Amino acid sequence: MTIGRKGKHHRLTGVVFPGRIAGMTKVPVLGVLGAASTTMCVLFVGLPVAALCIRAVREERLLTSLTSESAMTALRLSLVTSIAAMVVILVVGTPFAYVLARGKSSLLRVLDGLVELPLVLPPVVAGIAMLMAFGRGGILGPALEATGISIVSTSIAVVFAQLFVAAPFYIRSAKLGFQSVLLDYVEISQTLGVSPWRTFFRLTLPLAGPSIITGIALAWARALSEFGATMMFAGNMAGRTQTMPLAIMTAMETDLAIALALSALLLVVSVAILSGLSIASRRNWQSRS
Amino acid sequence: MSLGWIRFRRGEFVLATDWHIEPGQVSVLFGPSGAGKTTTLRAIAGLEKPHDGHVEIGGRVVFDSGRRIFIPPHLRRVGYLTQQTYLFPHLDVVSNIAYSLPRNRRWAGDEHIAKLVSDLRLEGLENRRIWELSGGERQRVGLARALAARPELLLLDEPFASLDSELRRALRRELRSMLDETPIPVMLVTHDREEALALGDEVQVLDSGRATAKGVPLNVLGQPGQGEVARLVGVENLLRLTVTARYPPDGTMVCEGHGLRLEVPLRDNSGERQMPGAREVVTVGVRSSDIILATREPEASSARNRFQGQVVSVELRPPGYEVTLDCGVELRCHITARALAEMNIVSGQALWAVFKASSCFLVSDYKSNCDK
Repeated sequence: MTIGRKGKHHRLTGVVFPGRIAGMTKVPVLGVLGAASTTMCVLFVGLPVAALCIRAVREERLLTSLTSESAMTALRLSLVTSIAAMVVILVVGTPFAYVLARGKSSLLRVLDGLVELPLVLPPVVAGIAMLMAFGRGGILGPALEATGISIVSTSIAVVFAQLFVAAPFYIRSAKLGFQSVLLDYVEISQTLGVSPWRTFFRLTLPLAGPSIITGIALAWARALSEFGATMMFAGNMAGRTQTMPLAIMTAMETDLAIALALSALLLVVSVAILSGLSIASRRNWQSRS
Repeated sequence: MSLGWIRFRRGEFVLATDWHIEPGQVSVLFGPSGAGKTTTLRAIAGLEKPHDGHVEIGGRVVFDSGRRIFIPPHLRRVGYLTQQTYLFPHLDVVSNIAYSLPRNRRWAGDEHIAKLVSDLRLEGLENRRIWELSGGERQRVGLARALAARPELLLLDEPFASLDSELRRALRRELRSMLDETPIPVMLVTHDREEALALGDEVQVLDSGRATAKGVPLNVLGQPGQGEVARLVGVENLLRLTVTARYPPDGTMVCEGHGLRLEVPLRDNSGERQMPGAREVVTVGVRSSDIILATREPEASSARNRFQGQVVSVELRPPGYEVTLDCGVELRCHITARALAEMNIVSGQALWAVFKASSCFLVSDYKSNCDK
């Protein structure tokens, strides 16, 4: 046997594994690697979440904190604003995502790149940018003032901030969903006498459904957790602009117990929304057999 | 009835076709891939816009370049079935078939849908998911879905190409009987000669966007008169020979070359060409399936052409075998698997190739496999 054949190349990783030379038994490199990395990921995410829950449960004032007026106000505001943002995102974002998926103009390709800008923009910067546009001293400030509409420091500002940071998640996902629907299906639908409008609702939308629900889940989760842009643009006023993340931040400065309770509450609500949506997306044709 | 003509330009490629199909008739577009067959169907369905043209479906003008008429696909009333079928994966079988019905009309009570399900032998499959169907079932569902919309023209783009030959034959029979019941015009794209012969009432051979031949399938595809057409439809033996003698009263002549002496009909199939002159060089076509192989010379036989040769090769060519025989020039003969087994044919063996004078036909241009 030649020397070169003794070190064995692993088929997938390409790692030279000199198992036989050292007289060791062969170790499944990929298996060990996979198990180790899985454990690390699970621990890294799971440990803090578990710690949060354990600390919150052990807190004596948990129930009173949870049901306190301020907690309920923050939760209600978070839900109302994020749902409002999601409605706007769905109504405006869905047709836009469709146009991005099917359109052929070069302008759309530029827009396609711009859609992802809020994903890389730090939320604090987004907040300042929105202030410069809609704030009192902003570009649209005088015009808004003249019509008597005030955005800054209102719940509308919270919705604006959430829209700005969350919409790209939905639009991206929905666009990929629409793109995955082969044009051949659409063409066949039309030869069957079904108008383009009805084809969208009876064919394209159901087929893109899983991606759309994923997009809703991602965008909603992002809207619920929005902090930086809201802080900058809307401010931190209980009952008007103080959403859950802002309330947690504020509580953190005075009382850790309340902060823990609010965090646990936000965690539960987020997990409930995400798992509810993932069950909804699993109830579609793809995984039904 | 459906008729029309279209003209397409895509760079160098120019496509020009015209058609006229009566209800219940099948017009076949035959040709190699890239000839423009699919583009023609898509233009009729309204999925492509030709540069020039005039398309009528059921007596209604759906496209006219001169009058700037373009009716969108969903108002054209065509049925369009392709090889891939594209059944909708989020719907079960019966919802696929009933897809074209307005939502307020429930399929359950619809007689038309029920009849299509039974005519196409889809009972029991109504609530199956699409991925649970076999290839033949998919095509039947696709056909039912297209017919459920009550089209006034059916466009079939190699609908049976991915199926095995037995299934294809069964589906062809079903399609024919469906058409006898509901006579609508059909345009069928295929590159399968057997399919064109079995289904077509008329055939048009397309090559690089041009219609090179048109007529009754048996005339065009059975003994194709044009060299190019002969190549496309696969005439296996094309021999370049010199006319040495003519017998007008018998309607035959003798052609020689490559050490062969063939008796051939005087006129070509289309009847358009003049009788060839003496010493003229002609191309004679013989289909491999028209040649009989024999182990001894069949002396008492009416077949006028008999040649001895050696077997060069035996190749599988479904539904049988192709035996290549060297008789001075290579002759390709198609025989069944049983004949091959019974005669025990092997390479190098001496055999007789026998065929009738009427199996030979003149091909009007002079490309031949002897020159290759």
